[in-house]
Amino acid sequence: MTDNQAVISVKNLTQRYGKGRLIYSGLNFDVPKGRILGLLGKNGTGKTTTINILMGYLRPQSGECRIFGEPITEIRPETRARIALLIEGHIQYSFMTIEQIERFYSRFYPKWNKDAYYELMNKLHVSPNQRISTMSCGQRSQVALGLILAQNADLLVLDDFSLGLDPGYRRLFVDYLHEFAKAEEKTVFMTSHIIQDLERLIDDCIILDYGKILTQTSVADLLRDFACYTFTCDTDTLPEFDEASGIVNPSLIRNEVELYTFKPREHVAHVLESHGISPSNMKRREMSLEDAFIGLTGKY
Amino acid sequence: MYSALLFKEWLKTRRVFFVALIVSLLVAGYVILTMNSHISANGVNILWLGMILKDCSFVDPVKYLPLAIGMALGIAQMAPEMSHKRLKLTLHLPYPHSRLVSLMLATGTIQLLVIFVLQAIVIAVYDATILPGEMVWRVLLTMLPWYLAGICAYLCVSAVCLEGTWYTRVILSLLGITLMMVMFLKPGVMAAYNSMIIVIIILILILAVLSFGSIARFKEGLQD
Repeated sequence: MTDNQAVISVKNLTQRYGKGRLIYSGLNFDVPKGRILGLLGKNGTGKTTTINILMGYLRPQSGECRIFGEPITEIRPETRARIALLIEGHIQYSFMTIEQIERFYSRFYPKWNKDAYYELMNKLHVSPNQRISTMSCGQRSQVALGLILAQNADLLVLDDFSLGLDPGYRRLFVDYLHEFAKAEEKTVFMTSHIIQDLERLIDDCIILDYGKILTQTSVADLLRDFACYTFTCDTDTLPEFDEASGIVNPSLIRNEVELYTFKPREHVAHVLESHGISPSNMKRREMSLEDAFIGLTGKY
Repeated sequence: MYSALLFKEWLKTRRVFFVALIVSLLVAGYVILTMNSHISANGVNILWLGMILKDCSFVDPVKYLPLAIGMALGIAQMAPEMSHKRLKLTLHLPYPHSRLVSLMLATGTIQLLVIFVLQAIVIAVYDATILPGEMVWRVLLTMLPWYLAGICAYLCVSAVCLEGTWYTRVILSLLGITLMMVMFLKPGVMAAYNSMIIVIIILILILAVLSFGSIARFKEGLQD
């Protein structure tokens, strides 16, 4: 793999739940080296499925996925050593103690950094002989994070790292991971159902809806280009806006209208007028990544 | 890496291993005490006659123990891998998957062999002090299919535990139960399975392949 090649490359990926519902069709995306990419989507849009496919635990219906240039079905053990994986729920070998699990993994990874692991463990105030099964979810998440940091992998794949964590542990996880990824130029591919955590962490995002990608862009570009407009108007119902209008997920509560769009304000005003709506006091509202996510995917 | 993987398997199985070893040795002690009490009551000649004419081997208490040990060890070793789909962690290790599974199965099989061989040695050493070599050999051949059944049970349970779907788990369980029933068809007959020992060993090799199939299906995404 050359430096300018994507670390993860997905081409025309199609997957279904069994023989039933289509999860997505023709999914394409790349994760460039040194970027932190968040895969966002509501429950059931295929985030964990995508990670399972990428890690070789699920054969896709069609399409091609490569990691470090190697097809995922033929990844060599040496390449796997360059990938750190966090399974949903911070699952680890719970029958091991803090000390045993460090000793176990250290044998597999040539760049193992024991100090990075124990630096984090010292913050937990737990004994090295404490078994992981006796720890809280938050503590287990720190063990999993410590192992990922110690592995010093080139690519980190994290599946819903925030699951089951209280705000303090989530913040700790995000801060450590961000500092590590940026300082060491790591590539990170992650999912989370708590979008506000990701805003502090990710450079780029892919927002999945049922069956398709809604957008794939940098967070900065998304928050710059995707706008939420609010205004008041005298109407009881909103018209149906077609795809060409560029208006998504409009909502009306009493006389207050809220809508989202990638189009400029003038375009929105023109579309509204063409539907016989006269907006008054139209404002662009500041949005967080979570607002943008809800704006794109809808509240339901 | 090799030693780390052995360490992981040992952590999962050590308790069952030690409990099984102690129980096996206690059962061996019980067999010896039973034979000893017969000799004390009736003399060694009557014991010999009973063994030759009535096919009384005195090792019947051993019969289902290897089966139970094989199943317990298989569950202790493989169930943690499938709980919360921890197998994903194992398959993510930078180690060839086929060697990984072979090593897991070899670890369990070797532990079973250690338990079974130690038990057999204890019984054989005692028998050798009161019985001619040919009869000691017959006693060992009587126990051998039970030990092989224990290994078969271990391999079947391993494959069932590593299987990702309930449908295939049921199929594999039915296959395992059928095989075990065949292996215990001839009760109370000494060395009854002598002619089938080779067949059972071949069967063990075939059963070892089942776990590889379970892992391959897991990687295909066949998981409930």
